[in-house]
Amino acid sequence: MPERSETSRPVPFRGGGFHYVPRKAVPWIGFVLVLTLWQALCSFGVISPLFLPSPEAIGVALWRLSESGAIFSHLGWSLQRILAGWAIGTAAGLLVGLTMGIFSAARSLGLPFVSALFPIPKIALLPLLILWFGIGEPSKIAVIALGVFFPTVISAYTACDSVPRNLIRMGQSFGLSGQTIVSEILLPGAMPGILSGFRISASIALILVVAAEMIGAQHGIGAFILSAGNLMQTDQLLAGVVMLSILGLLISFILGRVETWVLRWR
Amino acid sequence: MKKLLAALCGLMIVAAGQALAQDKEKLSIAALRFVSSSPIFIAQEKGYFAAEGLEVEIKFFEAAQPIAVATAGGDTDLGITGFTGGFYNLAGKGALKVIAAQSREEPGYDFVAYVVNAKAHEAGFKSVTQFPGKTVGITTVGSTFHYNLGKLAEKRNFKLEDVQLKPLQSIPNVMAALKGAQVDAVLLPANNAYALEKEGAGKIIGWVHQETPWQLGGLFANTKVVETRRPAVEKFVRAYQKACADYAEGLLQKDAQGQRTFGPKADELIAIIQKYVEPKPSVEQVKGSASYIDPQGRLLVNDIYSQVRWYQANGMVDKTVDTSKILDLNFVKGHLDLPKR
Repeated sequence: MPERSETSRPVPFRGGGFHYVPRKAVPWIGFVLVLTLWQALCSFGVISPLFLPSPEAIGVALWRLSESGAIFSHLGWSLQRILAGWAIGTAAGLLVGLTMGIFSAARSLGLPFVSALFPIPKIALLPLLILWFGIGEPSKIAVIALGVFFPTVISAYTACDSVPRNLIRMGQSFGLSGQTIVSEILLPGAMPGILSGFRISASIALILVVAAEMIGAQHGIGAFILSAGNLMQTDQLLAGVVMLSILGLLISFILGRVETWVLRWR
Repeated sequence: MKKLLAALCGLMIVAAGQALAQDKEKLSIAALRFVSSSPIFIAQEKGYFAAEGLEVEIKFFEAAQPIAVATAGGDTDLGITGFTGGFYNLAGKGALKVIAAQSREEPGYDFVAYVVNAKAHEAGFKSVTQFPGKTVGITTVGSTFHYNLGKLAEKRNFKLEDVQLKPLQSIPNVMAALKGAQVDAVLLPANNAYALEKEGAGKIIGWVHQETPWQLGGLFANTKVVETRRPAVEKFVRAYQKACADYAEGLLQKDAQGQRTFGPKADELIAIIQKYVEPKPSVEQVKGSASYIDPQGRLLVNDIYSQVRWYQANGMVDKTVDTSKILDLNFVKGHLDLPKR
């Protein structure tokens, strides 16, 4: 048997890779590279400013907007609509979704309605909402609330389903009341699912605020983007889009913080 | 081999013949299916373009903006539509040249009206001086309606900021908002204004031509086409002017009392216009919306300068836009109201 050990060779360690390790510098390098390339193409006249304004022009447009203070008024109006609409939609959605998650009868009643109404593009209902609420703030808030409501319902009741049943059974065998089981086991257990639902509904709110501001809005990022489009001010239009994506990043940052705070028990 | 040569020769002769037959120069124009595009329809139907040796393709669009975009982007060689803030921003980047006139607000020719909702009218909103403090529905920011209101503010000494503007995106939305009394007043083209008055939903309290006459629209061309195919554009403008003269003779006549009259010449033109305009208008609707178009396609040049200045002062058109560079005044002789040098 010793001859065998002579022919044996050391086996290198082949594990590793195939799992995500964040590289902090890479996204920044990529970002800077894309911007430089874009700016270069514009500066050397490869891309006409008619079709795509340069990053510099967008920066200048943003600077002018912040100088005149217009940017803050637009952000303020849009945030106000998003917050109001999202809060109403989320509150109603959680109420309905959790009820559907806890009571079988409520689920049987609600599910067909939710399934039927969820896929409707809420923006198609805008004319109807304008008839009901007028062209002022209520119709804009209603569009956002409606858009936020359905995904919240769905994420709430599926989050309830995902709570391990053995935990509930254990609570029951220890003689906990139904109320305590809901508040101490079901709700905390459903929180991760509900919070990731918030991320989705927050981006839906952001998309809908642009649509809602199409009708009868003088201020707001959506109104600004739309009027820049109507005026063919492509640099301003993209400046508005940049504002929107910054707003999106801000919201996702805040939600991340909320998540770590609410789920600190994990 | 001989056979092959003969066949080739034959092919070449056929091809040459076809080339001769298709010798007409091709131009395309972007237009709306509105009565205001009439001279194009007339020139096409009466063969004025063909007589100049042109084969003109009319491409139809749903709104003014896409027309300017299509022409600037080179999808069409020419375009004809109203002047908006967006138009001047595109033209200011050097992509478009205005070469002749389309509609203008001329005293005595109803085109765009100030319409007040019935309730507000009863409550005393009866004059165009009463706009401050009111909500007004317009289609979009930088639209011709927005500009009209801005000019009215200048003329009647009120601040445009004191009027609450509600951009509603489309004319049907604007009409609905007035009917639902969600806005106090709107600006609308004649036919829509008449329709609202007929329903009792609104009252016309004045016309833009009574307050601020202006050059509403124009015929324009892609700058490259103007530079490289100038003779073809000249031919196009000649045919266009001929059609404008027909239009003025048929649809812009007035009797001794100053009332508009429509003679037998009008009927022929109306039939042509009905063929192109959508939704198909009645004879009365064509007469109602036949805006004033200069018989020779001459522009109110000074007014275009003043439009650009207004949009610039209100931050809707880039400050770098140079009006003299978006005009090419050599196609039409005798433009009106030239700026003093």
